[in-house]
Amino acid sequence: MRIRQAILTLSLMVFLMTGCGSTDEDAHKNELVMATTTSTESSGLLEFILPDFEAQHGIDVKVVAVGTGAALQMGKDGEADVILAHAAEQEEELVRAGDTVGRFDVMYNDYIIIGPAADPAGLMENANSEVRTGFRLIAENEASFVSRGDNSGTHMMELTLWEDAGFDEPSGDWYIEAGQGMGDVIQMANELEAYTMSDRATYLSMLNSIDLVILLEGDEVLFNQYGVMAVNPDKGEHINYPAAEKFVEWILAPETQDMIAEFGIDEFGEPLFYPNADQNVGLGRSNFRHKKQPVPFRVLRSKK
Amino acid sequence: MENFVSGFQDAFQLIITMDPEFFAIVQLSLVVSLTATLLASLFAIPFGVLLGIREFPGKWLLVRIIYTLMSMPPVVIGLVFFLLFLRSGPLGHFGLNFTPTAMIIAQFALVTPIITGVVFNGTKERGPDIQDLAKTMGASPTQTVWLLIRELRINILSAVVTGYGRAMSEVGAVMVVGGNIRGHTRIMTTTIAMLRNMGEYSLAIATGIVLLLISFVINSLLYHWQQER
Amino acid sequence: MKLTLSSIRKKYKEKTVLQIPELELEEGYFWGIIGPNGSGKSTLLKIIAGLMEATEGNVLYHNHTLNEKTRRSMTLVFQKPYLLRTTVYNNIAYPLKIRGYSKRDIHMRVNAMLEDFGIEGLRDQKAWTLSGGEGQKVALARALVFKPKLLMLDEPTANIDPSSIILLEEKIREYYAMEKPTILMVTHNIQQTRRLCNRGAFMYEGEVLDSGDVSHLFGLEANPLVQSFIRQGLI
Repeated sequence: MRIRQAILTLSLMVFLMTGCGSTDEDAHKNELVMATTTSTESSGLLEFILPDFEAQHGIDVKVVAVGTGAALQMGKDGEADVILAHAAEQEEELVRAGDTVGRFDVMYNDYIIIGPAADPAGLMENANSEVRTGFRLIAENEASFVSRGDNSGTHMMELTLWEDAGFDEPSGDWYIEAGQGMGDVIQMANELEAYTMSDRATYLSMLNSIDLVILLEGDEVLFNQYGVMAVNPDKGEHINYPAAEKFVEWILAPETQDMIAEFGIDEFGEPLFYPNADQNVGLGRSNFRHKKQPVPFRVLRSKK
Repeated sequence: MENFVSGFQDAFQLIITMDPEFFAIVQLSLVVSLTATLLASLFAIPFGVLLGIREFPGKWLLVRIIYTLMSMPPVVIGLVFFLLFLRSGPLGHFGLNFTPTAMIIAQFALVTPIITGVVFNGTKERGPDIQDLAKTMGASPTQTVWLLIRELRINILSAVVTGYGRAMSEVGAVMVVGGNIRGHTRIMTTTIAMLRNMGEYSLAIATGIVLLLISFVINSLLYHWQQER
Repeated sequence: MKLTLSSIRKKYKEKTVLQIPELELEEGYFWGIIGPNGSGKSTLLKIIAGLMEATEGNVLYHNHTLNEKTRRSMTLVFQKPYLLRTTVYNNIAYPLKIRGYSKRDIHMRVNAMLEDFGIEGLRDQKAWTLSGGEGQKVALARALVFKPKLLMLDEPTANIDPSSIILLEEKIREYYAMEKPTILMVTHNIQQTRRLCNRGAFMYEGEVLDSGDVSHLFGLEANPLVQSFIRQGLI
């Protein structure tokens, strides 16, 4: 009796699995895999705009929110159909290598330097809204600063800014490398009463649970550009290039751009992202100087 | 496939070059997990043995709670301690969040029910026989406890090995309370999670391979020791 | 050691499995406790050995309740003995170790036992590799090595090869002759009772139907129910 039951269950499972398999082919056409950085997802932007795309084209978007490094790697490996990231310089490398077809500016937000209200390094008073001065103050006072330390776009940006301030490789007990996402890092800085650099969207979305305040903003070097790229269909049969093309077209369209501009106003009184697709010329542009990618271990350092 | 091949190459290179940062990570992994397992054992072994030989009202409920805690996701345990240790939390003034101490405490809480449960199971099965023998031999209560521990040593050892394996392999709890801070609370599993997020797949695999090698060595030593007796 | 049982009653849930209003087991006798399965023989031994508590009543050992000293001078050998997960030598040495004997003393006594039981060859063998007969020899040697004044045996020769039975019986008899302890042996074997015991008690459904001299128990003066059971071999 028991054996018969087991066989029944087993064949049912096989049936279900193969059942899924047979519809897989069709499902694939209606499915778009997007690799993106965590900020677009955790801020709630994608949840806000994607239903419109899905309704217009009948395509399900599978969002894989990872660090910039992993998101770009997914593009190189052909594991995603479309990429939405914010590391223009590296993104353009993918375009040059033929991993993706073009790259377009979508929107920007800005980075801010946040920290405890007590502001032990005196950024509010003495930095004159200049990141260069602000970072110098933090380092000179050895005030705790939490860095993403995860090779993400934000991390890369932060290192460029440190370099500008005259610190090629900031180190010391005060410089805390977390190796985690933005939300975790803000939480950690809040606990340790430390400074950190965050994109405005993530910071605003966490205001309820933290005490950190904005201590430095508005410096033009804090500009944070997001770009969209369709993965090259030559990467393999499984790449859904038509859908990716539709997606790029859609996100650059004025209607979608308006939605992006609207997002966050209800909740925070200000938008979290500013659309700027209208500035696209050719392959898009970059506000970032190139910074050598830091590596976790020496092994890799010697290899690259 | 390429990631696995280069993963093995990277693992080999990490070991022979004795990368100091990597070795500090390995060392902290071992220290945290071994300390947590050791402290958990000191509490959980006598507790599991007593639970196996004593009858008392409400025992079934306690056993069920322990079994439930055995399958508690590490990240939940991490979250519980993270919230307790928050500056504004009930244990905030100890300043434990993002320290190795907090990681040890979280793993202690993770591993204790596992060791207790496995020891309890072994004791439940053979404990009453051992206890009866001790009585017929005229053993004192202390001598009885010692005899129980000695007779159940293989079961106890496998409980400790299971607990240690769980501590060494978990990432959720240490990530939350430790924060994966470079040079401070970064251990092997959090490194792997971080490298994965960076897209550094082969180095992530390499770290995983080293983690497995260490587990293999430790298990071999314990197995050997068990065979001796 | 003289044993006095008064108003003993053992209940499992609502069922009474043992009920002995009064029973005195005089010192220095070899008692055979017989009766059909489930008659409460093993329960009786466990209560006397202090492994189980009676629901009511008490057992007096030389007119005292059970204390540590008494516990150390008695033992019980089970039908399926628990052997420690170590060598034969260490098994026999265990009761001496916990009594604080010197290493030399232990060595001497254990070796004498091994020789006496003809199991010198098993000295360093792990206990879990022994056959049933060998295991029971080790268990008996372990029980006798500290010379208990009260020896309880629960079917010591059930399911064991004939040559081992002969040796075990011989050792029990020798010990009885030499030390004159009180022995209580639960058995299903009438012939064995006749061979070894000088006293007997017949149990049925938790009660002692009849007890006394072996010749009485197996004779025509015994309780008629006992006679009929024995005649039919139903014990």
